[in-house]
Amino acid sequence: MSTLKTGVTNVMGANGGTPVEYQRVYVWELPVRVYHWINALALVLLCVTGFLIGHPVRIAYAQEAYQQYWFGWVRFIHFAAAYVYVFNFVYRLYWAFVGNKYATWNNFLPLTKKQWQEIADIIMVDVLQVKKHGEIATGHNALAAFSYFFTFVVFCFQTVTGFALYSSMSDSWFPRLFTWIVPLMGGELAVRFWHHLFIWFFVFFVIVHVYLSFYHDYIEGRGEVSVIVSGWKFGKFDKVESDGEPRKQ
Amino acid sequence: MATRVVVDPVTRIEGHLRVEAVVENGVITDAYSAGTMVRGIEKILIGRDPRDAWAIVERVCGVCTTVHAQASVRAVEDALGISIPPTAELIRNIMQATQYVQDHVIHFYHLHALDWVDIVNALKADPRKAAELAASYSKWDKNTASYFTAVQDKIKAFAASGLGIFANGYWGHPAYKLPPEVNLIAVAHYLDALEWQKQIIKIHAVFGGKNPHPNYLVGGVPCSININEVNAINSERLNLVSQLIGQADEFVNQVYIPDLLAVASFYKDWARYGGGLANYLSYGEFPTKGYNHPESFKYARGAVLNRDLSTVYPVNPRDGQEIKEYIAHSWYTYAEGDNTGLHPWAGETNIAYNGPQPPFESLEGYSKYSFLKTPRWKDNAMEVGPLARLVVAYASGQSDVKELVNATLGKLGVPVGALFSTLGRTAARGLDCALAMSWLKEFNGELQERVKINEVSTFNAEKWDPKTWPAEAEGVGMIDAPRGALAHWIKIRNGAIENYQLVVPTTWNGSPRDARQQRSAFEASLIGTPVANLEQPVEIIRTLHSFDPCIACAVH
Amino acid sequence: MGDSIWQSMQQKGYSRREFMQLCSAAAAAAGLSKSAVGQVASAFEKKAKPPVVWLHYQECTGCSESFIRASHPVVADALLDVISLNYSETLMAPSGFQAEKSLSDTIANNKGKYILVVEGAVPTKDGGVYCMVAGKSALQSLKTVAKDAAAIIAWGSCASFGGVQAAKPNPTEAVAISKIVDKPVINVPGCPPIADVMMSVVTHILVLGQLPALDSQGRPKEFYGRRVHDTCYRRPNYDAGLFVESFDDENARKGYCLYKLGCRGPVTYNACSVTRWNEGTSNPIQSGHPCIGCSEDGFWDNEPFYQHLASFPGFGIESTADTLGTAVGVATVAGVAAHAVLTTIRKRSVIAEVHAEDHKES
Ligand code: HEM
Ligand code: HEM
Ligand code: NFV
Ligand code: SF4
Ligand code: SF4
Ligand code: F3S
Ligand SMILES: [Mg+2]
Repeated sequence: MSTLKTGVTNVMGANGGTPVEYQRVYVWELPVRVYHWINALALVLLCVTGFLIGHPVRIAYAQEAYQQYWFGWVRFIHFAAAYVYVFNFVYRLYWAFVGNKYATWNNFLPLTKKQWQEIADIIMVDVLQVKKHGEIATGHNALAAFSYFFTFVVFCFQTVTGFALYSSMSDSWFPRLFTWIVPLMGGELAVRFWHHLFIWFFVFFVIVHVYLSFYHDYIEGRGEVSVIVSGWKFGKFDKVESDGEPRKQ
Repeated sequence: MATRVVVDPVTRIEGHLRVEAVVENGVITDAYSAGTMVRGIEKILIGRDPRDAWAIVERVCGVCTTVHAQASVRAVEDALGISIPPTAELIRNIMQATQYVQDHVIHFYHLHALDWVDIVNALKADPRKAAELAASYSKWDKNTASYFTAVQDKIKAFAASGLGIFANGYWGHPAYKLPPEVNLIAVAHYLDALEWQKQIIKIHAVFGGKNPHPNYLVGGVPCSININEVNAINSERLNLVSQLIGQADEFVNQVYIPDLLAVASFYKDWARYGGGLANYLSYGEFPTKGYNHPESFKYARGAVLNRDLSTVYPVNPRDGQEIKEYIAHSWYTYAEGDNTGLHPWAGETNIAYNGPQPPFESLEGYSKYSFLKTPRWKDNAMEVGPLARLVVAYASGQSDVKELVNATLGKLGVPVGALFSTLGRTAARGLDCALAMSWLKEFNGELQERVKINEVSTFNAEKWDPKTWPAEAEGVGMIDAPRGALAHWIKIRNGAIENYQLVVPTTWNGSPRDARQQRSAFEASLIGTPVANLEQPVEIIRTLHSFDPCIACAVH
Repeated sequence: MGDSIWQSMQQKGYSRREFMQLCSAAAAAAGLSKSAVGQVASAFEKKAKPPVVWLHYQECTGCSESFIRASHPVVADALLDVISLNYSETLMAPSGFQAEKSLSDTIANNKGKYILVVEGAVPTKDGGVYCMVAGKSALQSLKTVAKDAAAIIAWGSCASFGGVQAAKPNPTEAVAISKIVDKPVINVPGCPPIADVMMSVVTHILVLGQLPALDSQGRPKEFYGRRVHDTCYRRPNYDAGLFVESFDDENARKGYCLYKLGCRGPVTYNACSVTRWNEGTSNPIQSGHPCIGCSEDGFWDNEPFYQHLASFPGFGIESTADTLGTAVGVATVAGVAAHAVLTTIRKRSVIAEVHAEDHKES
């Protein structure tokens, strides 16, 4: 399934003249990149419009209500973006089963001992910085992937609470699936409260996420930022495994 | 031989009242008044936003709805030093006067009348004679023979199909003294009053959005006035209010007051019973120049002791020695011991039931026997309510009150002393209603004047934001509610309620004994009342109803 | 008792035409179409005036007061002609054990036929001693009276959801009546509910002999299927983003939307915008005060009322989700900045290695 394209340049390695393969690796397939940017755009829209719904700004007041509809548009954009965001996410879930090895679902759950070791390693190297070198992942590192898992859970939570709120304004089938959430959570105000609160998770996530993208790019110099646009990453690999994937020693 | 007569539930009141009266040789020699439901609202208020308190305390009672809301906004405004715009004060006065009028009419017809009016006996009346009789004391044009015939037919059919709410009443008891025609007139007006009460109360809906439980606001009133806008209090709304006031005026003066006097004239013996306490307390009501100027109130503030009308004592709610609540016989505990009295700013609400486990037959032998606390003014048991308001206003020399009281006593041909009784209390409520009615018209006229000159501000926003508040503040909101002196004491700390205590009219009147075993008004007034038939304690009910008890208020 | 409504009207000299008028009024009140009038008429003809028992527990009597503000049918007619209100502590003539007799007679003579309506919550703490009537706890009496009731209606937010006494810290452990009885309960929330809604729920049951359609919270869909906001006459202002910023400001005087003053209309199911209050005189929003959500479960704890969302627990009285959020946001930026500084210091050698390799390559 996964395609590996390598552009190989032979250079002298840092230690003792061992040859190092300097490779381009196709990591994020087009569907993942498309998903990523649609998701990023939808989320930014949802956060901005959501915040406005919670805190309508005082803009130039019209004389009469029929002369403008700005708050209506804000809400419309929120709901439209919500649909895009949700179905985009559903599509990403599908790709988690058919995409390349970097995109599959098992990246996101640390089910193996190796993944847990990697998490511990990343905490030592990148977070606490008490260790100098560690394994550099080609796809998601195990900690990032695990944090995306929680992000996906929050995505689901916002979807469920959002559509639960939306169900009182819509008779269409999809929102109606969520009506039972409202009494379960203790009424619409409670649902709104939680839905509103989690905007702050996204603020938190985006700050950390974007920062870490640049951080890794800066530290590792492997095109961590551009990869989510182009799909390609750079790697310095000592050898290529029998499955055709590059491996660092 | 002494018999303990238990009346529980006492009906045609608000709330859960139980009275146990000791009857010896057909006369009551002692009585115990117990409130048997508690919600703990004072505890629920702690930690909340003071600006929300009005809504919560308003739910203390849906019968005198608005009065707790009003007391609460006054308490918060007092604590934070907020003064409200004069137009807001007028609107609040209109709402309050409306409450007096509506509450008193309902009380007379729907809660009290059946103690004096024998509904079954009304079937014997001659409708034509009833019409003639009614015409002799009232100009109400609905009082015709055909109208009384229709009502009689209605009751006849109703009686034939079972009596519903009137079943098992004390009909035929010798204590009922009215001739059949008066009974019929009263029953007809019972039904009319049922329809009328929902009209006048629309005034609350206009300014507060709904009734029961209209909206209030710390700093003013929530409605805005704009006579060039359909979305605000405009000329249509003002017209509606004026029209409702006009209708109410007619009903009060052509139906309620005439009926009250007609009924009273047959029960003058009840001017001998039910006097009870001799001390009266009123906080005064209807500010005309702001809450902090009680000298401008329509009803004076003060206390009268031992029925001595020559002296009115000033009342200071902030003085830790004046108003205190005791719990010696109530199902609560105080940290300092159950015999101490606490000023409400230092008040505690530690509910601690130690009575019998239900189901039980009697509270006899239990030292604590009620969920009401026992308020005292300078350690005196005080009566509050319309009678107390009139007594304090009369003794303060307020001329409109004096004239009306004297004229009424003259009409009934009874001395001033007759006021201090079951009958006097019921008559006082009527006069209170008539006064409130006349002031209601006055306030409405003033409101129209203010709108004319575009003085329409209804809210003072200065201290709305909690950031403008001091770290600590305390206030008291006093009001004379339909049933009497009501006040809320609040302590605010860091923007939240630290303590909140309500001392309510029916708490004054209906409480158990205090630490010195002094009885409160209900218990004291029952002593000496005759009870002809222990199975049908209509006399007990008469005296209790003369206070218009509200136990949800009293306990909260 | 025992007579049908038609019979009792005949005795009073009403004509058949007048009877049919009453039926169509009742049908209209119950929200039925014209075609249902025939059904109504036959229900009235066949059935005796249904006995109604009205119990009060932890309550303020505001629901009773609201009920008597009903206008169609008018209350006097409802009390005399439509129902047989056999027990109501607020209105009944007898007190004490004669009152108890009215109750026990009604139960004994109408097993399975009477309608039980309850106003108020039931305290459950300490065996229910916080509400006692005639020496019995609310817990005890509710179970007894509910046993043989044909239908049970919970009036108001107290009986439906626990109400004000169940607000934190719920000192008496007050609960909704549906938590006590093991039968279906029709919840008619509101503090109080709208008069004509109450009357219509009663006529709905008595006219059709069946329960109205209920939602998952036991509320008649007829009156609780829409949010106050959905049919609010200020809604165009909401959509246009025209908001009242402060009470009695210029915008308030123009009747703009009350959302920013904390209006709970968008999260509250009630008929206030449509049926309105006191014979259609007004509703809270029309008179300038935001909806406080008085028909919602637990609304007393959705405080503060003048804020769009409830405050965030543990962050003080005016705190919102955004108070917490801002704290998280600031902490995040600070954390990221600290990490960046740490990186430039501690990763200097790592970055140097990368550069060194690059130099070697070229
Ligand atoms: C995932 C990111 C999302 C964020 C950050 C977000 C944020 C917000 C915020 C802050 C509010 C204002 C709440 C308030 O203060 O009352 C809001 C309202 C709302 N959101 Fe979202 N939301 C998201 C996703 C969704 C989704 C997927 C839906 C699904 C339809 C949705 C539907 C709604 C609805 C219906 C409202 C109420 C709008 C109204 O009453 O006009 N949201 N959202
Ligand atoms: C609102 C903004 C954004 C959101 C919500 C967001 C969300 C996400 C999510 C959910 C993933 C996991 C993708 C997957 O496996 O399907 C991801 C991966 C990634 N994103 Fe973003 N992203 C945002 C902005 C950005 C920006 C601005 C950059 C570039 C500077 C970026 C760079 C990356 C990279 C490089 C990855 C993959 C590497 C990794 O495993 O960490 N993202 N992002
Ligand atoms: N007692 C009392 Fe009230 C009155 N009036 C309150 O303050 O009745 Ni419900
Ligand atoms: S629901 Fe509201 S109005 Fe009804 S009894 Fe409870 S507090 Fe009173
Ligand atoms: S006033 Fe309240 S209910 Fe009406 S539109 Fe505005 S937010 Fe909605
Ligand atoms: S406060 Fe209650 S009365 Fe209606 S508008 Fe809101 S539900
Ligand atoms: Mg108190």
